[in-house]
Amino acid sequence: MANGHHAKTLPAELNAPAFVAGWRMKALAVGAAFSVIAIILGFLSGDGWNHFLRAWLVGLMLCFGFAVGGMALLMVQYLSGGKWGLLVRRPLEAMSRTLPVAFVYFLPIGFFMKKLYLWAQYPDGKAAYSQHLINAEQAHAIIFKKGILNPTTFWATSIVCFLIWAGFGFLLNSWSLKRDADTEPNVPYWQKKFENISGIGVVTYSILLTACAILWVMSLDPTWYSTVYGLQFLVGQGYAVLALVILTLIGLSNAEPIRTIFRVTEQHDLGKLCFAFTMLNMYLAFASFLIIWSGNSPEEIPWYLDRIRGGWGVIATLDVIFHWLIPFSLLLSRDLKRIKGRLVVVCCIMLFARLWDTFWLVEPNFADARRNLHFSVGILEYIAVPAAMIAFWMAYYFTQLTTRPLVATNDPHVAEILEPEHAHA
Amino acid sequence: MATKGAPVNDPMIDPITGEYVVVAPGHTFKSVTETISRIVLTPHTPLGWYAGFALAGGVATVLLVAVLYLFLTGVGIWGITIPIAWGFAIINFVWWIGIGHAGTLISAILLLFKQGWRNSINRFAEAMTIFAVVCAGMFPLIHVGRPWLGYWLFPYPNTMNVWPQFRSPLLWDVFAVSTYATISVVFWYIGMIPDLGTLRDRSKSKFGQFIYGMFAMGWRGSVRHWVRYETASLLLAGLATPLVLSVHTVISFDFAVALLPGWHTTIFPPYFVAGAVYSGFAMVITLAVPIRKFYHLEDLITLRHLDNMAKVMLTTGLIVAYGYAMEVFMAYCYSASHWEYFMMWNRMFGPMGWAYWVLITCNIALPQFMWFRYVRTSIPLMFLMSLIVNTGMWFERFVIVVTSLYRDYLPSSWGTYRATTWDYATFVGTLGLFTFLFFLFVRFLPMIPMSEIRMMLPQAKVQPESGNVVEAGH
Repeated sequence: MANGHHAKTLPAELNAPAFVAGWRMKALAVGAAFSVIAIILGFLSGDGWNHFLRAWLVGLMLCFGFAVGGMALLMVQYLSGGKWGLLVRRPLEAMSRTLPVAFVYFLPIGFFMKKLYLWAQYPDGKAAYSQHLINAEQAHAIIFKKGILNPTTFWATSIVCFLIWAGFGFLLNSWSLKRDADTEPNVPYWQKKFENISGIGVVTYSILLTACAILWVMSLDPTWYSTVYGLQFLVGQGYAVLALVILTLIGLSNAEPIRTIFRVTEQHDLGKLCFAFTMLNMYLAFASFLIIWSGNSPEEIPWYLDRIRGGWGVIATLDVIFHWLIPFSLLLSRDLKRIKGRLVVVCCIMLFARLWDTFWLVEPNFADARRNLHFSVGILEYIAVPAAMIAFWMAYYFTQLTTRPLVATNDPHVAEILEPEHAHA
Repeated sequence: MATKGAPVNDPMIDPITGEYVVVAPGHTFKSVTETISRIVLTPHTPLGWYAGFALAGGVATVLLVAVLYLFLTGVGIWGITIPIAWGFAIINFVWWIGIGHAGTLISAILLLFKQGWRNSINRFAEAMTIFAVVCAGMFPLIHVGRPWLGYWLFPYPNTMNVWPQFRSPLLWDVFAVSTYATISVVFWYIGMIPDLGTLRDRSKSKFGQFIYGMFAMGWRGSVRHWVRYETASLLLAGLATPLVLSVHTVISFDFAVALLPGWHTTIFPPYFVAGAVYSGFAMVITLAVPIRKFYHLEDLITLRHLDNMAKVMLTTGLIVAYGYAMEVFMAYCYSASHWEYFMMWNRMFGPMGWAYWVLITCNIALPQFMWFRYVRTSIPLMFLMSLIVNTGMWFERFVIVVTSLYRDYLPSSWGTYRATTWDYATFVGTLGLFTFLFFLFVRFLPMIPMSEIRMMLPQAKVQPESGNVVEAGH
């Protein structure tokens, strides 16, 4: 790598390069192709679109994770400071502005909740049990949790969550533009302003995300609960968002302005952050597994047995391999974190791992798949539906990337990031 | 809320960022070295040091007496009974181990994350870790009843067919804590070598030159030495980082793998780790505030340190609060388990409910004042806050241990818990031992890393225009 002795200058053109429009077109084409496949599979599967909806939930969780997780990481970088934050700020802002897409994706889950959630299908647990539609444990859980697991709470909580996130997203995005337009630096003023909203925002995000994770995913099996579940989703979102933001930056670094400001040092730092999230993600998953496995109580262990027995052990093992073993092994390498092409491969594996993991979380909740991994036409929906949803989400994300300059200029880190790399002791 | 204020004239505030500076302006390599090394090399030990040392030593003697009586009599002198077979010993063990975590986090994780502000506080935070582990490690050992057979915990070939139970987290503790102690000591020592070299060179006494020279291991400050030093530091930081998570995670497993309501919960590992860092940073503040005042180190331990440590405390405190909230939510609203429901009700409103509310007040309610910068940068308030948090964290372990055990599944086996004088004496004694060791440390070793502070001065930065590099390591 060539190291100049003099500081670089910020390019005059800070908007997204023209090729981002090409990315958007490709994403739309992929989305359209997979939509057609998903619809065909829906007709062919003959399961009343059940798998389509389950796969939709997987797609929702991923896209929702990018939108909300992106906003959370945006707030975290305001709180933590650091040059990496300046680099990722505009891509993260773009992710946070995709919240409307996540909301649109949520609507079918709300409208068709009876196809997914036992508690929505059988609101009267006692009657359903007496008709042998559900077992005693399910009936007990549905009755006990009726205050939380009911359509009204589901809708109300979800909408309130989206509204609050929309509020935070609006403020973060509009203030960011105002900050850049400010004729005077006023760094302490803006820093305080963003720190204040981000502090509250991260706390709010943690609470709301936990509520959504419990309602949307954990309640697919109303009999089971885990206190760390929300935190696992939170870390999982960080894991996926980091991978995506690195991919975005590397993609954009083929042209200005990112070419100038995306230094190897910060790329290495982002790689290290990925490594930290890889470890944290597996740490939470393994600790949860160990506690429940050691306890071996009839109330808890079936959740894992449903996801290990009947062929699911293969999926679970591959989940560990994709989620942890591969990224962990590769990200240990200093060189890999500093070479763009190789880091791209790791980030793609990480994103695929999130899809794989969400499939493993969702599908075994249903009676036909529990401890019984088998092929059906419907199961192919887990490829087609999330692929289409992510592709459309990506198209919207790329659109958002083009709507404002890719570098926030009113920030003291701009000068630092333009310095020659070896200048830092 | 933020306001667009007038330009800042305070030299302790960075005019660009508005943050407090990490090191006060005006310092040179020489002034930093002198400020720190004279505390160690002075022939005139302050009277205040003697007074504190004697007091701490006196309190540590209480521990000696308590442990001696324990060995002569047995664990019956404590308040433990059935069903509360774990009492103060495990509470104190977890509390002390937790306190140690801040040292490892500051020295390892903050190093990897290039947080320059850590440099002023990492040395004594690491020392704190080691002394806290000493205090912590003692409790399981004296709790086993026959401490002279403690080596049975290790897997070694023997003719008695005694073999440890590897599926027990208590055994994992043995390995986790011993590894933690080893790495912490090595990290602390390696980090001190350049400073020991400085003390060797500046010491006027033959004895000082000999002792510091021996421990400096021939440090000359050559480029080769610095390269190896930096590599070793990074490697040790890499090794120590997982330990920050693993040690308290394993300790949380001591509880969580048991099928006891209040213990068996999946949030325990992250929330124990966060709690450990929380209490650890509180203890760093408890120590830093009097030290900076007594030794006039306000230039090196600035309000920036206090502010940042408060932010870490606020963050980890909120994670702990999240853990409490999830426990309450699951028990009351989502578990559908009467055992969980009763456990939480009993924890909040049972005969020992007061302890729960003490912990909520100290760990969650009062620390929310740290949202305000005024509080975070107020020395007396932060000192008070650190004491409050450490009290709260001790009560957290009390609540977890006692209120989960004294009323378990079978009402006929319910009991209560009353700590005895010997329980209190042992605990207070460890506070004395910890302080005693700390007094020795500040007197005979450099409590702030001179070499790292020198590297933070503007003179140590590479000058890009001229290409000159100012050496910082001497």
